[in-house]
Amino acid sequence: MSTKLSILVIEDEKNICNFIKTSLQLQDYKIITSATAAEGLSIANSGSVDLILLDLGLPDMDGVNIIRQIRSWSSMPIIVISARTKEQDKVEALDCGADDYITKPFGTKELMARIRTAMRHSNRLVSEDEKYKRPYICKELVIDFDKRLITLKGQNIHLTQIEFKIVSLLAQNAGKVLTYDTILTHVWGPYIEQNNQILRVNMANVRRKLEQNPAEPQYILTEVGIGYRMAEED
Amino acid sequence: MRPAFFSERTQGRERMSQRDLLHNITVTACILAVAVISSAFFFLTTDNGNNASLIYVLAIVLISRYTYGYHPGIIASIIGVVAVNFFFTYPYGELNFTMTGYPITFMGMLAIALITSATTTHMKAQAEALSEREKLLMEAEKEKMRANLLRAVSHDLRTPLTAIIGSSSSYLDNREQLSQSEKDQLVSHIYDDANWLLHMVENLLAVTRIHPESAASINKSMEPVEEVVAEAVSRFKARYPESPVQVCTPEEFYMIPMDPTLIEQVIMNLLENAAIHAHSQEAIDLTVTAKDGQWIRFQIKDYGQGISPERLETIFEGSPYGAGESADSKRGMGIGLTICKTIITVHGGTITAHNHAHGAVFAFLLPIPTQPCA
Repeated sequence: MSTKLSILVIEDEKNICNFIKTSLQLQDYKIITSATAAEGLSIANSGSVDLILLDLGLPDMDGVNIIRQIRSWSSMPIIVISARTKEQDKVEALDCGADDYITKPFGTKELMARIRTAMRHSNRLVSEDEKYKRPYICKELVIDFDKRLITLKGQNIHLTQIEFKIVSLLAQNAGKVLTYDTILTHVWGPYIEQNNQILRVNMANVRRKLEQNPAEPQYILTEVGIGYRMAEED
Repeated sequence: MRPAFFSERTQGRERMSQRDLLHNITVTACILAVAVISSAFFFLTTDNGNNASLIYVLAIVLISRYTYGYHPGIIASIIGVVAVNFFFTYPYGELNFTMTGYPITFMGMLAIALITSATTTHMKAQAEALSEREKLLMEAEKEKMRANLLRAVSHDLRTPLTAIIGSSSSYLDNREQLSQSEKDQLVSHIYDDANWLLHMVENLLAVTRIHPESAASINKSMEPVEEVVAEAVSRFKARYPESPVQVCTPEEFYMIPMDPTLIEQVIMNLLENAAIHAHSQEAIDLTVTAKDGQWIRFQIKDYGQGISPERLETIFEGSPYGAGESADSKRGMGIGLTICKTIITVHGGTITAHNHAHGAVFAFLLPIPTQPCA
């Protein structure tokens, strides 16, 4: 690929915009910035954008609305930038179709990692069935989706039906945070009541089977108040 | 000011008497009626009617206790004495205070009744005043906590800001003269201080999640202990990669009601505290255990220099610096710990600090609900 990936940054804070621009340009991305939602949307609609970094607190429009509008015609990756305290906003943004979120303040490294993950997922969409055949491998954990087999350090791990469903869902979306609701509807179906305790208990069991120390998980990372994220493949 | 005060009071009382007159009359009438009926019953079924006066004393105490002001008690005393004379002393069914010895007996009886009713009313007033004072004291306590917090915050904010402004302005002013390593040093100072400010702001944000009006008004949800601990530890490790932590959580699965962001902040503060102030290379121990099935105990143990005894006493009080310590020698751990205490208190838990043989131990307890939600 000779053309640079172009990233649209919709953020009204000039200083943050500048910092993102400087650090991303050094990584050979093409950066377009926009301080308002209206301008950002029109740039996005022009079709020359590969990924969007979106600040949720914009002056002229609710961030969630922007996500909805873009999702009505495009599946391009959207990463939400948000402040720490508002879990509810993040969950709403993710459930609306944002791919990932990053919490202010963040470092350049973290931002880069999130962008790479989001780009990879958007590419994977093309080869949907391919990834079911390819096992997930991270450190000493191997998940073979085809044979429904999970091994840790070469040892077979026995999971229940539900537990396997959760782990494989997370592994197929490795690196991406999945909200409680997303996991609940995928595993238990759309009619499960909105109570994530059953999920929490199942996750605790999974953790005891997969993680050496449940308090320092290596594979399934917790985003308290939001959901879970599986570690990226090696 | 005085007349105004008085008139206000009398007005208040008048307003009260309007509303409470009915209450006073009803209570007095009811209790007296019960007293008369029970004493009549007593009189008719037993031969000894003399102890009936005791029933009236009881009635007077009750009336004074449950009515407002002295009047109902006094009226009840007089009615009681008249009733005793009328029903229970010879000649029965007649009022007669003139028989030999009667004047003194009934005067004495009236005096005792009056004193009893007056004492009871007085006691009631005192009890009310006492509870009023307790309320005021609690308000003052809250106010003190807030003031301490503000004091700690404004001090702790000024120090890093001064450093940031100083470093950046000397970089901008003397760019040409500075060597590359000097520049790096200035910028890395700015970086460190900005991180410190971030830590402070996170703590302040935590405080805004607590509504001061009532302890029950934080947003609690059932959260798995191990997940909250895991996230706090991973945040800590990202920020202090060179400080090792050893974490141990219970094998059983516990979910307890909490605001996870706030508890995470507490764990984070205590870990940070250990990393910065212990001056030790040894790993910090974070141990979570269940205690008596009623509490979850979080313990953060470092192997550093410990805490001086005089500081230990006020460590959660928001006084950032111990006696004899220069205020600028060290960044305060005051604000962080004050906030920890506030957060744990609104969760219905307790937090403690003490020294062990090779360092300091901070521990906090959070209650496990007695009826675990299914």
